[in-house]
Amino acid sequence: MTYKATKITIVSEKLIQSGITRIVEDEGAAGYTVIEGGGKGQHGVRSTDRPKVVGAFGIVKIEVVVADRGVADAIADKVAASYFENYAGIVYLEEVEVLRPKKF
Amino acid sequence: MDLVLDFIQTFAAQFQKPTLAFLLGGMLVAALGSKLDVPDAIYRFIVFMLLMRIGINGGMEIRQADLGAILLPAVFAVVIGCVIVLLGRYTLALLPRIKTEDGIATAGLFGAVSASTLAAAMVLMEEDGIVYEAWVPALYPFMDIPALVLAIVLANLYLQRKGGKSDERVRVWPIIAESLRGSALSALLLGLALGLLTKPDRVFEEFYDPLFRGLLSVLMLIMGMEAYARLAELRRVAHWFAVYAVAAPLAHGLLAFALGFVAHVTVGFSPGGVILLAVMAASSSDISGPPTLRAAIPTANPSSYIGASTSIGTPIAIAVGIPLYMALGDIVFGP
Repeated sequence: MTYKATKITIVSEKLIQSGITRIVEDEGAAGYTVIEGGGKGQHGVRSTDRPKVVGAFGIVKIEVVVADRGVADAIADKVAASYFENYAGIVYLEEVEVLRPKKF
Repeated sequence: MDLVLDFIQTFAAQFQKPTLAFLLGGMLVAALGSKLDVPDAIYRFIVFMLLMRIGINGGMEIRQADLGAILLPAVFAVVIGCVIVLLGRYTLALLPRIKTEDGIATAGLFGAVSASTLAAAMVLMEEDGIVYEAWVPALYPFMDIPALVLAIVLANLYLQRKGGKSDERVRVWPIIAESLRGSALSALLLGLALGLLTKPDRVFEEFYDPLFRGLLSVLMLIMGMEAYARLAELRRVAHWFAVYAVAAPLAHGLLAFALGFVAHVTVGFSPGGVILLAVMAASSSDISGPPTLRAAIPTANPSSYIGASTSIGTPIAIAVGIPLYMALGDIVFGP
């Protein structure tokens, strides 16, 4: 049996990871997952295979799954308002199905 | 005429040294599109080793050093760090087509110090038998932190004035704490403490000191590759950044050389110390500086200051600055 939930994905600079996860927790999400990576966007290429002299300039993908759509919207809005004027980043929301709804 | 010839000869001889050859080799390899790859973790480990070596050696020597002799060069280091930022603030940041906060951030990065440039200078000088007090490289934070703090304060003052807010004060202590906790300064300070308080002589002589030179050659290769990779970023920002990145390391180094000479005359600062102080001033931070600036001046474009520093500033400081100050030292102090 699965239940509906919302997944928020935030791709942004590793430098502001702690600020983003603080928002995620403050808004009441039960947890999150962080994956480091590379890619290409408006702010240029962020390579995963080149020596990164400045490690803090890599990017991270932060995934959060919440049961309440309102919480998801609040997280997305707050992250965008706090950081995306000056830092690189995108946010998207998806409807997902989860097992064990108590975990979210 | 002899003087000029001598100068050119000393200068040219530096290019055959492995340190510079590895830097240029790294650039060449990157330019040819090679897949050669040095993992990030190795880069960070090398930087840790270099700073640990500098710290331990400095700490061991401070034990016996006359603190009065350290004081004046340390004060000069602070002064140089601040003067560099002010110079940049009132030249680069005022130029047309340059966003003021980009200019200030760039000046801050050039005022801060690069551990790799410093280490390269130490090896090149040791090859030439130029001696210096072992605590001189440990003056690094005295120039690094004031420069970053001043740049961040100036940028915030400017942004507040532009935004019409004037009640918010820039908090200086968090910036200092952040710098001290950065990977570079943590390693240096830990090394200093170990050298000062414990007896690490054996581990220093058998591990840190012998590995220093070999690891530096790998670091130079990485710096060369990174410098080339960052050139593309610099092309997208105003050309004045490139002009600044060529001229600033040389101007800053000469200024520090002059102040170092004053310390040489007054408190007997060694000629090698004067050269190292000039190298510190010429260098621009590549590890701890950029993230600190990015976090504290978020509106400044990192492509401008990192591009200026990593792709032009650092290679110029290493390949032109170090040989220049060594040749100058030869002339001023005699070989």
